[in-house]
Amino acid sequence: MDDSDGQARKFQKDLNAGLVALVLLAVLARSAEDLYGYEIAKRLQRANQGDALFKEGTIYPVLRAMAAAGLLTSRVVPSYAGPARRYYRITDEGRATLSQWSDIWRQTRRFVDRFIEGTDP
Amino acid sequence: MSVNAPRTIDEYLKQLRSALAGEDAALIQDALYDAEEYLRAEVASHPQRSEADVLELIASTYGAPEEVAAAYRDTEAKVKAALRPPAPPATAQRSGIQRFFAVFMDARAYTSLFYMLLTLATGMVYFTFVITGLALSAGFAILVIGIPFFLAFIGIARVIALGEGRLLEATTGERMPRRPVHPGAPVGWLRRIGEMLKDVRTWTTLLYLLLMLPVGILYFMVAVTALSVGLAFAVTPLLVVAQRLGLLSQATVLSEDMRIGDMPLAHHSLLSALLLGVLGVLIITLLMHVARGVARGHARLAKALLVEPGG
Repeated sequence: MDDSDGQARKFQKDLNAGLVALVLLAVLARSAEDLYGYEIAKRLQRANQGDALFKEGTIYPVLRAMAAAGLLTSRVVPSYAGPARRYYRITDEGRATLSQWSDIWRQTRRFVDRFIEGTDP
Repeated sequence: MSVNAPRTIDEYLKQLRSALAGEDAALIQDALYDAEEYLRAEVASHPQRSEADVLELIASTYGAPEEVAAAYRDTEAKVKAALRPPAPPATAQRSGIQRFFAVFMDARAYTSLFYMLLTLATGMVYFTFVITGLALSAGFAILVIGIPFFLAFIGIARVIALGEGRLLEATTGERMPRRPVHPGAPVGWLRRIGEMLKDVRTWTTLLYLLLMLPVGILYFMVAVTALSVGLAFAVTPLLVVAQRLGLLSQATVLSEDMRIGDMPLAHHSLLSALLLGVLGVLIITLLMHVARGVARGHARLAKALLVEPGG
């Protein structure tokens, strides 16, 4: 049982590698205001029923990587609760990337479903 | 994992730091900063629970220190691969001459040259800032405002160090911190000053900022001298040809006053002008190589003095 658990976790982790970035772009694209890491993590947590699909700690490095790649911009705002918060906003390049990635995701999902649901002869 | 699950934010950060041991110091600083933002916000949003209670759930929400460390390691490896401006295309099977001139295709060479020119200005600002700050801190030490003044002085020095790091990462690609050093748990002013005074990095940061003036003067001198001499030589053949063709009229000041060596430009033969041109191009190319090397070495110096050693 431990083994299949481990495999399930590994499978989830491999899936998440690309999907977390896509989800973060989508969250930021839909948000009217800039969001900081903790806020985004909580939004994802609320949207997710049952066991967490990924650890919230893993979104921070992805956010930083996307900011470095120009998909997001960020600004730092001092906070009373701890260190200054970094607020993120999606760039035009980020939006273009999001629509491209969304297409890939839809295509992948249709493709995978065809086999899982057995609709493919 | 649950054997010694962290009970406080400080414990968590300590475990995260040790889980990242051996990684780039700048990466560790960023990871600690992000974790602290999350943990403090999480604790603050559950005022009815104790820090220990909140931390108990952290492993299942934010992730245990080892998991988070692994995420940073993975992402960093990917980002590094993806973001590195491509090294000048395959230098392997090219002749020495091609490799020598390939420096013009390397964006880093231009940014490095720009950095060398900029250091004179930044060096003067840093130097003045540190000297003034130290002098006033010493003077104010016996007054009440001495303490906040010193704290502010060191705080600004750290911000400058962060900015300098960002500038160097942009010009040389050397990984530098993207977040400031977190001052740690809130403690009394006197203790904080004591810690600042004990922290080796406070002094190495000030040393770096002071060093920037002499170093900046040197960089600037080298860059400006080589640029002006190189460019002047490089355009000589064009000027001589232009004059022969009568494009530079006798009325312009250029004709007799423009001299290369002891000879007015007009008297140079085409051949000697051409040789000067080649020499000029060589000087500029050499300068580009030097700039790239200088910036790379300088980034290493900055990392040693500005970024917490080892983690």
